[in-house]
Amino acid sequence: MEVGLTHYLILAAALFLIGMVGFVVRRNTIIMLMCVELMLSSANIVFAAFSRELGNEAGHVFVLMNFAVAAAEVAIGLAILVEIFRRRRSVDADDLTTLME
Amino acid sequence: METFLFYFCGAVMLLGAVGTVASRSAVSAACWLILSLLGLAGVFAAVAAPFLAVMQVLVYAGAVMVLFLFVIMMLEGPVLEGETRRPRFWVPVAAVVPAAVILIAAVVWVRRAALPGFSSAAPEGFGQPMRMAELLMGKYLFAFELISIVLLVALIGALALGRNERKLPWK
Repeated sequence: MEVGLTHYLILAAALFLIGMVGFVVRRNTIIMLMCVELMLSSANIVFAAFSRELGNEAGHVFVLMNFAVAAAEVAIGLAILVEIFRRRRSVDADDLTTLME
Repeated sequence: METFLFYFCGAVMLLGAVGTVASRSAVSAACWLILSLLGLAGVFAAVAAPFLAVMQVLVYAGAVMVLFLFVIMMLEGPVLEGETRRPRFWVPVAAVVPAAVILIAAVVWVRRAALPGFSSAAPEGFGQPMRMAELLMGKYLFAFELISIVLLVALIGALALGRNERKLPWK
Protein backbone atom coordinates (compact mmCIF):
# COMPACT_ATOMS: atom_id res chain seq x y z
CA MET A 1 0.00 0.00 0.00
CA GLU A 2 1.37 3.36 -0.96
CA VAL A 3 1.92 5.90 1.77
CA GLY A 4 0.16 9.23 1.33
CA LEU A 5 -0.57 12.48 3.10
CA THR A 6 -3.19 10.96 5.42
CA HIS A 7 -0.73 8.42 6.82
CA TYR A 8 1.60 11.20 7.88
CA LEU A 9 -1.24 13.22 9.39
CA ILE A 10 -2.35 10.22 11.48
CA LEU A 11 1.24 9.62 12.59
CA ALA A 12 1.59 13.28 13.57
CA ALA A 13 -1.72 13.15 15.46
CA ALA A 14 -0.57 10.05 17.36
CA LEU A 15 2.71 11.71 18.32
CA PHE A 16 0.94 14.91 19.40
CA LEU A 17 -1.55 12.98 21.54
CA ILE A 18 1.22 10.96 23.25
CA GLY A 19 3.03 14.20 24.03
CA MET A 20 -0.17 15.82 25.29
CA VAL A 21 -0.98 12.87 27.58
CA GLY A 22 2.57 12.95 28.92
CA PHE A 23 2.39 16.68 29.60
CA VAL A 24 -0.83 16.26 31.59
CA VAL A 25 0.10 13.10 33.48
CA ARG A 26 3.77 13.62 34.39
CA ARG A 27 4.77 15.91 37.26
CA ASN A 28 8.52 16.06 36.65
CA THR A 29 9.01 19.36 34.82
CA ILE A 30 11.99 18.04 32.82
CA ILE A 31 9.85 15.25 31.37
CA MET A 32 7.06 17.77 30.76
CA LEU A 33 9.56 19.77 28.65
CA MET A 34 10.40 16.60 26.70
CA CYS A 35 6.68 16.12 26.00
CA VAL A 36 6.53 19.69 24.65
CA GLU A 37 9.36 18.68 22.30
CA LEU A 38 7.28 15.73 21.10
CA MET A 39 4.30 17.99 20.38
CA LEU A 40 6.50 20.48 18.48
CA SER A 41 7.96 17.60 16.45
CA SER A 42 4.51 16.42 15.41
CA ALA A 43 3.91 19.84 13.85
CA ASN A 44 7.16 19.37 11.92
CA ILE A 45 5.84 16.11 10.41
CA VAL A 46 2.73 17.91 9.17
CA PHE A 47 4.83 20.68 7.60
CA ALA A 48 7.06 18.18 5.81
CA ALA A 49 4.14 16.03 4.62
CA PHE A 50 2.20 18.96 3.15
CA SER A 51 5.40 20.24 1.58
CA ARG A 52 5.77 16.87 -0.20
CA GLU A 53 2.11 16.78 -1.24
CA LEU A 54 2.13 20.29 -2.70
CA GLY A 55 5.63 19.97 -4.21
CA ASN A 56 6.62 23.22 -2.47
CA GLU A 57 9.70 23.40 -0.26
CA ALA A 58 8.45 26.33 1.83
CA GLY A 59 7.32 23.79 4.44
CA HIS A 60 10.89 22.59 4.89
CA VAL A 61 11.99 26.15 5.67
CA PHE A 62 9.28 26.36 8.32
CA VAL A 63 10.55 23.11 9.87
CA LEU A 64 14.05 24.58 10.09
CA MET A 65 12.64 27.68 11.82
CA ASN A 66 10.80 25.33 14.17
CA PHE A 67 14.08 23.60 15.05
CA ALA A 68 15.56 26.94 16.07
CA VAL A 69 12.49 27.89 18.10
CA ALA A 70 12.51 24.50 19.86
CA ALA A 71 16.20 24.84 20.67
CA ALA A 72 15.62 28.32 22.12
CA GLU A 73 12.65 27.04 24.10
CA VAL A 74 14.65 24.16 25.58
CA ALA A 75 17.56 26.43 26.51
CA ILE A 76 15.31 28.96 28.31
CA GLY A 77 13.12 26.26 29.88
CA LEU A 78 16.06 24.35 31.30
CA ALA A 79 17.68 27.57 32.56
CA ILE A 80 14.45 28.37 34.42
CA LEU A 81 14.39 24.82 35.82
CA VAL A 82 17.96 25.11 37.08
CA GLU A 83 17.10 28.38 38.80
CA ILE A 84 13.97 26.83 40.37
CA PHE A 85 16.01 23.84 41.54
CA ARG A 86 18.58 26.13 43.17
CA ARG A 87 15.88 27.84 45.21
CA ARG A 88 13.45 24.99 45.95
CA ARG A 89 15.60 21.81 45.65
CA SER A 90 12.83 20.27 43.54
CA VAL A 91 11.54 20.30 39.97
CA ASP A 92 8.22 18.58 40.78
CA ALA A 93 5.34 20.56 39.28
CA ASP A 94 3.20 19.84 42.36
CA ASP A 95 5.70 21.71 44.54
CA LEU A 96 5.62 24.87 42.44
CA THR A 97 2.38 26.34 43.75
CA THR A 98 3.51 29.72 45.08
CA LEU A 99 1.46 31.69 42.58
CA MET A 100 -1.55 29.44 43.06
CA GLU A 101 -1.98 29.98 46.82
CA MET B 1 11.31 1.56 0.18
CA GLU B 2 9.49 4.72 1.14
CA THR B 3 6.62 2.68 2.57
CA PHE B 4 8.93 0.49 4.64
CA LEU B 5 10.82 3.52 5.92
CA PHE B 6 7.55 5.18 6.92
CA TYR B 7 6.16 2.23 8.85
CA PHE B 8 9.43 1.17 10.50
CA CYS B 9 10.60 4.65 11.52
CA GLY B 10 7.08 5.71 12.47
CA ALA B 11 6.80 2.69 14.78
CA VAL B 12 10.21 3.42 16.32
CA MET B 13 9.20 7.05 16.83
CA LEU B 14 5.91 6.19 18.56
CA LEU B 15 7.63 3.53 20.71
CA GLY B 16 10.20 6.08 21.82
CA ALA B 17 7.45 8.62 22.58
CA VAL B 18 5.53 6.11 24.72
CA GLY B 19 8.78 5.20 26.51
CA THR B 20 9.44 8.89 27.22
CA VAL B 21 6.03 9.33 28.80
CA ALA B 22 6.05 6.02 30.70
CA SER B 23 9.59 5.81 32.10
CA ARG B 24 10.03 6.70 35.76
CA SER B 25 13.41 8.41 35.80
CA ALA B 26 14.37 11.47 33.78
CA VAL B 27 17.51 9.85 32.36
CA SER B 28 15.68 6.90 30.81
CA ALA B 29 13.00 9.31 29.54
CA ALA B 30 15.76 11.26 27.80
CA CYS B 31 17.17 8.07 26.25
CA TRP B 32 13.72 7.08 24.95
CA LEU B 33 13.31 10.60 23.56
CA ILE B 34 16.58 10.21 21.62
CA LEU B 35 15.16 7.01 20.07
CA SER B 36 11.95 8.84 19.23
CA LEU B 37 13.75 11.76 17.58
CA LEU B 38 15.96 9.40 15.54
CA GLY B 39 12.79 7.67 14.33
CA LEU B 40 11.44 11.08 13.38
CA ALA B 41 14.58 11.67 11.31
CA GLY B 42 13.74 8.46 9.42
CA VAL B 43 10.21 9.72 8.85
CA PHE B 44 11.67 12.92 7.36
CA ALA B 45 13.79 10.76 5.06
CA ALA B 46 10.64 8.88 4.00
CA VAL B 47 8.80 12.10 3.13
CA ALA B 48 11.54 13.22 0.74
CA ALA B 49 13.20 15.69 3.12
CA PRO B 50 16.82 14.48 3.40
CA PHE B 51 18.17 17.81 4.64
CA LEU B 52 15.59 17.89 7.44
CA ALA B 53 16.51 14.31 8.40
CA VAL B 54 20.16 15.33 8.78
CA MET B 55 19.28 18.48 10.72
CA GLN B 56 16.95 16.48 12.95
CA VAL B 57 19.80 14.18 13.96
CA LEU B 58 22.26 17.06 14.41
CA VAL B 59 20.06 19.59 16.20
CA TYR B 60 17.50 17.49 18.09
CA ALA B 61 19.05 14.10 18.74
CA GLY B 62 22.43 15.79 19.14
CA ALA B 63 22.42 19.28 20.62
CA VAL B 64 19.04 19.45 22.34
CA MET B 65 19.34 16.03 23.97
CA VAL B 66 22.87 16.76 25.18
CA LEU B 67 21.45 19.87 26.83
CA PHE B 68 18.70 17.80 28.47
CA LEU B 69 21.09 15.13 29.76
CA PHE B 70 23.56 17.76 30.94
CA VAL B 71 20.91 19.52 33.03
CA ILE B 72 19.65 16.20 34.44
CA MET B 73 23.18 15.31 35.51
CA MET B 74 23.57 18.79 37.02
CA LEU B 75 20.38 18.63 39.05
CA GLU B 76 21.04 15.13 40.50
CA GLY B 77 19.29 13.86 43.62
CA PRO B 78 15.50 13.99 43.78
CA VAL B 79 15.09 14.41 40.01
CA LEU B 80 16.65 11.06 39.21
CA GLU B 81 14.39 9.07 41.49
CA GLY B 82 11.31 9.87 39.48
CA GLU B 83 8.06 11.05 40.95
CA THR B 84 7.54 10.48 44.63
CA ARG B 85 3.76 10.86 44.69
CA ARG B 86 1.42 9.02 42.38
CA PRO B 87 -0.92 11.33 40.45
CA ARG B 88 -4.57 11.27 41.41
CA PHE B 89 -6.52 8.58 39.59
CA TRP B 90 -8.63 10.86 37.40
CA VAL B 91 -5.70 12.76 35.92
CA PRO B 92 -4.32 9.92 33.73
CA VAL B 93 -7.85 8.80 32.85
CA ALA B 94 -8.94 12.29 31.84
CA ALA B 95 -5.85 12.59 29.63
CA VAL B 96 -5.67 9.11 28.08
CA VAL B 97 -9.37 8.54 27.29
CA PRO B 98 -9.93 11.59 25.02
CA ALA B 99 -6.60 10.98 23.28
CA ALA B 100 -7.46 7.34 22.60
CA VAL B 101 -10.96 8.27 21.39
CA ILE B 102 -9.59 10.89 18.97
CA LEU B 103 -6.97 8.50 17.59
CA ILE B 104 -9.33 5.52 17.19
CA ALA B 105 -11.96 7.75 15.56
CA ALA B 106 -9.36 9.07 13.10
CA VAL B 107 -8.12 5.60 12.18
CA VAL B 108 -11.65 4.16 11.79
CA TRP B 109 -12.76 7.13 9.71
CA VAL B 110 -9.73 6.77 7.46
CA ARG B 111 -10.19 3.01 7.03
CA ARG B 112 -13.55 3.48 5.30
CA ALA B 113 -11.87 4.67 2.11
CA ALA B 114 -8.77 3.52 0.28
CA LEU B 115 -6.08 6.08 1.04
CA PRO B 116 -4.46 7.77 -1.93
CA GLY B 117 -0.71 8.10 -2.17
CA PHE B 118 0.95 11.45 -2.75
CA SER B 119 -0.52 13.18 -5.78
CA SER B 120 2.77 13.31 -7.67
CA ALA B 121 6.30 11.99 -7.43
CA ALA B 122 8.79 14.27 -5.70
CA PRO B 123 10.66 16.44 -8.21
CA GLU B 124 14.35 15.86 -8.82
CA GLY B 125 16.45 17.23 -5.96
CA PHE B 126 13.43 17.90 -3.74
CA GLY B 127 14.52 18.90 -0.23
CA GLN B 128 18.21 18.51 -1.02
CA PRO B 129 20.64 20.83 0.83
CA MET B 130 21.32 22.88 -2.30
CA ARG B 131 17.64 23.72 -2.83
CA MET B 132 17.24 24.53 0.87
CA ALA B 133 20.25 26.83 0.71
CA GLU B 134 18.77 28.66 -2.26
CA LEU B 135 15.53 29.21 -0.34
CA LEU B 136 17.15 30.20 2.98
CA MET B 137 19.64 32.58 1.37
CA GLY B 138 17.14 33.93 -1.15
CA LYS B 139 13.40 34.09 -0.63
CA TYR B 140 13.44 33.45 3.12
CA LEU B 141 16.57 35.44 4.00
CA PHE B 142 14.67 37.83 6.29
CA ALA B 143 13.11 34.97 8.30
CA PHE B 144 16.54 33.34 8.47
CA GLU B 145 18.07 36.50 9.95
CA LEU B 146 15.19 36.94 12.39
CA ILE B 147 15.55 33.38 13.69
CA SER B 148 19.21 34.07 14.40
CA ILE B 149 18.12 37.03 16.55
CA VAL B 150 15.71 34.71 18.38
CA LEU B 151 18.59 32.34 19.12
CA LEU B 152 20.80 35.22 20.29
CA VAL B 153 18.07 36.46 22.65
CA ALA B 154 17.57 32.92 23.97
CA LEU B 155 21.32 32.62 24.56
CA ILE B 156 21.45 35.88 26.51
CA GLY B 157 18.31 34.95 28.43
CA ALA B 158 19.66 31.54 29.41
CA LEU B 159 22.92 33.15 30.57
CA ALA B 160 21.06 35.77 32.59
CA LEU B 161 18.85 33.12 34.22
CA GLY B 162 21.67 30.68 34.88
CA ARG B 163 24.31 32.88 36.50
CA ASN B 164 24.93 32.63 40.21
CA GLU B 165 24.21 36.08 41.66
CA ARG B 166 26.20 35.65 44.85
CA LYS B 167 29.44 34.85 43.04
CA LEU B 168 29.48 37.88 40.75
CA PRO B 169 32.69 39.89 41.25
CA TRP B 170 30.96 43.23 41.92
CA LYS B 171 28.65 41.87 44.65
